[in-house]
Amino acid sequence: MSVAPVEVERPEADEVVLPDVPWITIVWNDPVNLMSYVTYVFQSYFGYPPTKAERLMRQVHEEGRAVVSTGTREEMERDTEAMHEFGLWATFRKDD
Amino acid sequence: MARGLTSRPFKAKRSGIEVRLEPHERTLLVHLLRQLDDLLDDGSPPSEDPLAELLGMPDVAIDPDVRPQPPDDPALARLFPEANRDDAEAAAEFRRFTEQGLRARKRTGARRSAEALEGSEPVLLDDEQAAALLKALTDLRLVLGERLGLQTDEDSERLHTLLAVGAGDESWTAAAATYDMLTWWQEALVGAVGSRRS
Repeated sequence: MSVAPVEVERPEADEVVLPDVPWITIVWNDPVNLMSYVTYVFQSYFGYPPTKAERLMRQVHEEGRAVVSTGTREEMERDTEAMHEFGLWATFRKDD
Repeated sequence: MARGLTSRPFKAKRSGIEVRLEPHERTLLVHLLRQLDDLLDDGSPPSEDPLAELLGMPDVAIDPDVRPQPPDDPALARLFPEANRDDAEAAAEFRRFTEQGLRARKRTGARRSAEALEGSEPVLLDDEQAAALLKALTDLRLVLGERLGLQTDEDSERLHTLLAVGAGDESWTAAAATYDMLTWWQEALVGAVGSRRS
């Protein structure tokens, strides 16, 4: 399993290693993409069931954005790139 | 606006998705897809290494001191948006490693879609071709939407209203009507793809 490439001092053997702070992929609302297409993307790329895909699409549409995936930085960069390939407006960042 | 004779431009069948566009509509769509391919051409030679192209690996040496910038053309900037809003360095790094591959894959998708639509009737798309066309239709609408100045959901709704009442000059009307038609086609294709999946 890969880890997020954050700059940290290598912990001493007896130090507690904290789990990675998860990173997130956010999809933002835009005036062009169709609601049906956004739902299709969430289903076909992430494999989300129709209800979850639809809920996330509505959140993007109504609230302006939604967190669509969580994981390591590397994974979130991959998801963001995939969203750009689908034409969705996506960004990634470390979760607060 | 009249929808023309095509009531359902894409129809799901057991063997694939049948394209039922009128010949002149198909010609227009192929033309637009070729234009998209041209727009995405940044002059870099196509990669000779298929694996590198598949993985989106840049085939030129990367200068780590040069921070890549978003494209100047707002339509291209929309196709390749900044991927990190808080960290310019992370956004630049993402762009450095993804934009060339994304560009190549979008161009390939546009070309394959055009080739599929140029076949003899009845034109039947397999699932891969339909998925590629959905992406290419999105890119086309994003480019046109940017050219038409669509910034908000309200702008999109206003476009349909203005088009319906015949407001706007000739060039705006032509672009808006094309956008509207692509929207209708994409909605129909999403529906056809969905009914094959379920």
